[in-house]
Amino acid sequence: MLLVALIVLPFVGALLAALLPVNARNAEAWLAGAVALAGALVAAALYPEVAAGEVLHYEAEWLPAAALAFDLRLDGFAWMFALMVTGIGLLVVLYARYYMSPTDPVPRFFSFLLAFMGAMLGIVLSGNLIQLVFFWELTSLVSFLLIGYWHHNGAAREGARIALIVTGSGGLALFAGVLVLGHIVGSYELDRVLASGELIRGHPLYLPALLLVLLGALTKSAQFPFHFWLPQAMAAPTPVSAYLHSATMVKAGVFLLARLWPVMSGTDAWFWIVTSAGAVTLLLGAYVAIFQRDMKGLLAYSTISHLGLITLLLGLSTPLSAVAAIFHIMNHATFKASLFMAAGIADHETGTRDLRRLHGLWRFMPITSSLAMVASAAMGGVPLLNGFLSKEMFFSQALHASGPENQSLTLLPLIATVWGVFSVAYSLRLIHGVPFGPPPDDLPRTPNEPPHWMRFPIEVLVLACLLVGTLPKATIGPVLAIAVGSALGADTPEYNLMVWHGFTLPLLMSVLAMVGGSVLYLLLRRRLTHGAEGAPVLRHLNGPRLFNALLVALSWRIARPLENRIGSGRLQSQLAWLVLVALGAALLPLWAARLPEAGAGSAMDPALALVWVGGLACAVAAAQQARYHRLAALILMGGAGIAVCVTFAWFSAPDLALTQLVVEIVTTILLLLGLRWLPKHPRERAVPAIDRLRRMRDLAFAAAAGGGVAALAYTAMSRPVPDSIAGFFLERAYSEGGGNNVVNVILVDFRGFDTFGEITVLGVVALAVYALLRRFRPAPESLAVPAQQQIQRDFDAANPGRTDIIGRFLHIPSVIMRLLFPVTTLVALYLLLRGHNQPGGGFIAGITLAAAMIVQYMAGGTRWVEERLRFRITLWVGAGLMLAAVTGIGAWLFQHPFLTSHTRYLAVPVLGELPFASALFFDVGVFLLVFGATVLMLVALAHQSLRAGRTLQHEAEAQSEHAPVPARKGA
Amino acid sequence: MIAWTQHLLIAPILLPLVTAASMLLIDAARQRVIAMLNVASTVTLLLIAVALLRLAWQSESAVSGVYLLGNWPAPFGIVLVADRLSTLMVALAGLLGVASLSFALARWHRAGVYFHPIFQIQLMGVNGAFLTGDLFNLFVFFELMLAASYGLLLHGSGAARVKAGLHYITIGLTASMLFLIGVSLLYSVTGTLNMADMAERIASLEGDDRVLLEVGAAVLGVAFLVKAGMWPLNLWLPGAYAAAAAPSAALFAILTKVGVYVVLRLSLLLFGDGAGASAGFGADWLLIGGLLTIAFGAIGALGSQDVRRLAGHCVLISSGTLLAAIGIGDARVTGAALFYLVSSTLAISAFFLLIELAERGRVPGADVLAVTMEAFGPREAPPSLDDEGAGIAIPAALAAVGIAFVLCALLLAGLPPVSGFIGKFALLSALVNPSDPSAAVSVGRWAMLALVILSGLAVVVAMARAGIRTFWAPPERTPPRVRVIEFTPVAVLLALCAALAARPAPVFDYLQTAADALHAPDDYREQVLAALPAERRALGSGESAR
Amino acid sequence: MELLIATAIGGLVGSGVWLLLRQRTFQVIIGLSLISYGVNLFIFSMGGLRVAAAPLLADGAPGDLAAYADPLPQALVLTAIVIGFAMTALLLVVLLAARGLSGTDHVDGRERRPRDDDEEEPPA
Repeated sequence: MLLVALIVLPFVGALLAALLPVNARNAEAWLAGAVALAGALVAAALYPEVAAGEVLHYEAEWLPAAALAFDLRLDGFAWMFALMVTGIGLLVVLYARYYMSPTDPVPRFFSFLLAFMGAMLGIVLSGNLIQLVFFWELTSLVSFLLIGYWHHNGAAREGARIALIVTGSGGLALFAGVLVLGHIVGSYELDRVLASGELIRGHPLYLPALLLVLLGALTKSAQFPFHFWLPQAMAAPTPVSAYLHSATMVKAGVFLLARLWPVMSGTDAWFWIVTSAGAVTLLLGAYVAIFQRDMKGLLAYSTISHLGLITLLLGLSTPLSAVAAIFHIMNHATFKASLFMAAGIADHETGTRDLRRLHGLWRFMPITSSLAMVASAAMGGVPLLNGFLSKEMFFSQALHASGPENQSLTLLPLIATVWGVFSVAYSLRLIHGVPFGPPPDDLPRTPNEPPHWMRFPIEVLVLACLLVGTLPKATIGPVLAIAVGSALGADTPEYNLMVWHGFTLPLLMSVLAMVGGSVLYLLLRRRLTHGAEGAPVLRHLNGPRLFNALLVALSWRIARPLENRIGSGRLQSQLAWLVLVALGAALLPLWAARLPEAGAGSAMDPALALVWVGGLACAVAAAQQARYHRLAALILMGGAGIAVCVTFAWFSAPDLALTQLVVEIVTTILLLLGLRWLPKHPRERAVPAIDRLRRMRDLAFAAAAGGGVAALAYTAMSRPVPDSIAGFFLERAYSEGGGNNVVNVILVDFRGFDTFGEITVLGVVALAVYALLRRFRPAPESLAVPAQQQIQRDFDAANPGRTDIIGRFLHIPSVIMRLLFPVTTLVALYLLLRGHNQPGGGFIAGITLAAAMIVQYMAGGTRWVEERLRFRITLWVGAGLMLAAVTGIGAWLFQHPFLTSHTRYLAVPVLGELPFASALFFDVGVFLLVFGATVLMLVALAHQSLRAGRTLQHEAEAQSEHAPVPARKGA
Repeated sequence: MIAWTQHLLIAPILLPLVTAASMLLIDAARQRVIAMLNVASTVTLLLIAVALLRLAWQSESAVSGVYLLGNWPAPFGIVLVADRLSTLMVALAGLLGVASLSFALARWHRAGVYFHPIFQIQLMGVNGAFLTGDLFNLFVFFELMLAASYGLLLHGSGAARVKAGLHYITIGLTASMLFLIGVSLLYSVTGTLNMADMAERIASLEGDDRVLLEVGAAVLGVAFLVKAGMWPLNLWLPGAYAAAAAPSAALFAILTKVGVYVVLRLSLLLFGDGAGASAGFGADWLLIGGLLTIAFGAIGALGSQDVRRLAGHCVLISSGTLLAAIGIGDARVTGAALFYLVSSTLAISAFFLLIELAERGRVPGADVLAVTMEAFGPREAPPSLDDEGAGIAIPAALAAVGIAFVLCALLLAGLPPVSGFIGKFALLSALVNPSDPSAAVSVGRWAMLALVILSGLAVVVAMARAGIRTFWAPPERTPPRVRVIEFTPVAVLLALCAALAARPAPVFDYLQTAADALHAPDDYREQVLAALPAERRALGSGESAR
Repeated sequence: MELLIATAIGGLVGSGVWLLLRQRTFQVIIGLSLISYGVNLFIFSMGGLRVAAAPLLADGAPGDLAAYADPLPQALVLTAIVIGFAMTALLLVVLLAARGLSGTDHVDGRERRPRDDDEEEPPA
């Protein structure tokens, strides 16, 4: 299918081009040329169908669920564009072959160029609007890469960035607009959209859709106020400018306008927005162009101005003006491309593009100069050249539009004439200023004629200008007919391409423009060659700077402070947010409904009340002490914990009480071990007002949170309990779980999987703790030996006769503790075994044993313990996990799911009948892991003081080498 | 009797655990063995996930598998449920796992001890959170996931990570408290912990019980939204993700999605149309929160100079978009959102990996070295980042990294030609064309459309800035030394996104059916509760076996 | 009774939240511990308060909720306690490490109001 080839070839070419070696200039050129040529030929081959008024389609499935298909659609208008894109692309490739220097990394260049060609073809061939947006954004992206091709140069980076952001955001607006259009029409297919003009124009969402679409089109076509990206983009290599700013990139905008012209134009909104944007751009561009120093700058502004002209014509919404617009699209492409190339040659040969230094080039490069002169003449609208024809059309349209029926446009002919004057003036700078005048004195290089093939593209284009200018009907006529016919559809007007219309008002306007322009040029000459840079009045209106200022303001004056305000990284404010949101969320349902009323609670037992008076006192005191008296706070917290523990025991939860107790102990030990590394805080006298305020706030939060939770708990508690799944557990704990202690059966059987995950948490935390502590470096000030020891040491030093106390520290207790070890171990094992029927179980047992272990460390000191028992604690963790897992997996052998338990009672001598459930193995796994993990953490923490001691003695390398647990020595 | 194949459903949880356990049994000195073990396990995990995905893909019904742990019937025991969504998420997690592991093997896994077991546990936690059908079990796996992620975040230590870790952990713990309050409240009202069963019982609740239920659900929701990264509960996120080592951050890309997943699943299961008076509870707030999050993410992206923070804010934009989409509560929007989820998760993960490669080229490893030198003892410093043979130092590497960067930027900004655009288009198109044509397009939908487009713009601006600064500005930058195993994962992830863009249809349809199933949860409920335990032998003399 | 326990829960959580919002790491960790006490009690209380009804079956006879306290919340609390313990340990170590690396025990690792962003120059 030819259509597919048309669009696929460039991308394939781009891929290939990227893979070629860096310096393969010729190969690249041949490849790119071949691709472009192929494209042009395909387009040519499709002429018969298109000429017959057919609309060619190629559809492929893309995202049917969202009614999106990959749809290529070629009608006359698209065909004309395709021809333009490929044809001029071919010439640009040929030109680039000679323009790019051997040192440039050409693969990137040609690959991007081809990709751009593909994207542009994609736009014009899109059969649905989403696809159009797709390729639209692609052109923005690739143009960014092309403009930034010489990225070592700052201007190129700037130009690329600005172009991307302006056109890219325009594309996003277009995206939104297209979505709105799709919502209106109910489909994104171009045919459907083009068919439902009435619906669109009548829809309440017409205006937003229009604005969004226009935002896209006007940014792309560099219309005021978005024009400023185009001159910036001149930092690109000239072939890129010649391609992007004559035939492709900027034409995409007007292409879109023309595409949607039948459905969106004709309303006042369209008329006023598009026309005024066009008119302003038209004059502004032409005016500024006159005063450019940089030849490419001049061409850039003239491009802006000509695009303004096209936009204006499309805005007028009369069929004839649309014809003029389409005609001018082609003409402008031809002469502007050739002019850019000529500028490139001049730059190439002379080494400068400064119009003040470029004069008298005729002597050196007569052919190029004359070609450039003809092209500029076409740009200036000199008769017998194509520019003249479209200009005449424009003038007549301007006159026609400003007819008696709408007074508002009486200015239009005047605007048109003034524009004519300006364009003639800046064209004359190229026609007269550059070739003639005194011989150039301060050129970096002495220019010569370029190699013939470099000039060839210009010759072709100029020839086109001439032919079209002299015999339009024969040459451009049919193409224009096809394009117009398909673009305007039903309301295609009668028009005639003639060079000579007789003595008409438009002709008079042209003459005026010629004369006025020449006069203006003569008047301005001195000023242009010696005066200051830039156009009078508008000089200070620097688009890019404003734009950047805007961006910086957006990012650094607004975004950042705002982010710091609403997104402060301070932990306290984050937690405050969290508490606040949680409170809000909890209150949320209460807006709708009334507060649930709570039933009456049971009578209060004074004893427990007393316990809690103490407990709460402890909690509050801890809260108040925690900053300056950590130890006190720790003890008080323990007090609160005890109260909790008692409560569990009270309300028939012995397991909880037991667990709470042991965990309490171990946690306290942990915190104690940590305490010494924290800094001392001098009590600060005056509390700043702001802090006092924050305290009030926090107090409020705390009160709200506490009160809220209390209220919730009370309501929930005092309500009748629903029929819960818990009954099932009580019922089957023994018969099927084989245990009397329902809680334990739940833990190891009914919900064993929870326990499974829970011990894994413990294990992984232990690993993380350990890993982190290996890198632990205490703050220098906390390394010193504690004051008490210091005093004692000094004392001993003072009177040597006495036995040293430090050495015998806790001597008697340590002996007892050592004796205690076996006992504790036995207790632990007992707790483990009875767990299934009585309070106890793997976890409690593990923690108990761990506690016993720690006691040994306290008694004998780390070294003493580790000299005696050498084992890798991580081994216990691993073994525990593994045992638990294996026990669970064992069930698979019985064709049962993971963790299915198997119970049997064994009569064991002495101990009597013991539950021998597979759950027991699981519990043993728990035991091993809990013991391992707890000891691992505690020991790792305990070791810090050893290491700190060593740090004190400047044993630097020991830091990383010594690991808390002996077996890690190998690591 | 249950077939061996049924055990496949629990494999994503067991395999990592067993691997981790055996790693601990091996002497930690034998790094290579452990690393190989990790690779084997992670790859197998991915294969298993894909197998599960295929099962879900082929199954007619909403639920493709229910696993009764301990062989206890549904509401009483814990169940694992495989449906289209959960299997997809597991597969996604497996994919990210392989990617970030491969990246880590180049260098990072040596930046601290126990990387490999913690990594495995991380995968276990994530998979469990996706698969479980029990609310409290979900809590356990959440904690597991968080605990492991704390470990991975702190991996490599250093001041920045420890500070970020401190914040992350504190927030995480507070959120866990909320989680517990919510769960227990729901239990006290409904008397069950099984999600499906809970959904059934909710329908019949009335009056005050309903209020308590909603309070519980709201508190629970806050806990999830902290993970999902909804503003203002997400302020920890950019810092944490920026501080984490590249592979950890790449894996974390799935963590926020866990939060989103749970919110999506529970809000539609518990408060779907079947929920009586509280149907659609909290949806509006979800929408508002999501929109705020998008805005915050966009602002942050504009404001952040550091590429890592920029990436963090992209995570937020993605989360916000998803949350808002859930809030809309329209099956088609949900479907599109799922597609967006897949694409953005892959992109973010790839981006986090890429950033390190790119910046390594700019300032040869300075940042990493700074961190590691500070963190490591003098002896254990990792191989210096520009030692010979640490990678190919040719411009090609730079070009590849550059292209990858551009692709990531496009994906995150939702520009063509990669899947980001398709996802965004599908989402927005579903927004402006509601499922029932009669319904008007609500203000919320328009607001979301605008915000999504604008956030895309913000990302374009920020990315252009960052990209130019990273790749173009430095006059002559030393080409980064990139190892194949470092760049391959990035390339693969991006290739997947490209494939998604070229052939979105199959994936999209799958996700659409998944979304429809979520919006009509009856099948889910019935099939979970109907699952029968394996046959049980009669209770013999003091012996029982189920 | 319910009222008492509710007050207890409220008191624990309240003082915990207050500490949570303080600026010293040690305060935060104590605060979290207090909160988890409160929350554990909360979970426990969700099963209702039963005196002398410990879910220890009298030899194998199947029981029911009338005779015994609800065992499920107890099991949940056990799990919660264990996980809470693990997390507390981790937090402790992290805060020690933070204090070691940053030299302060302020939760933000800096004494005065920190800004959690990177100071760079705005672009030209």
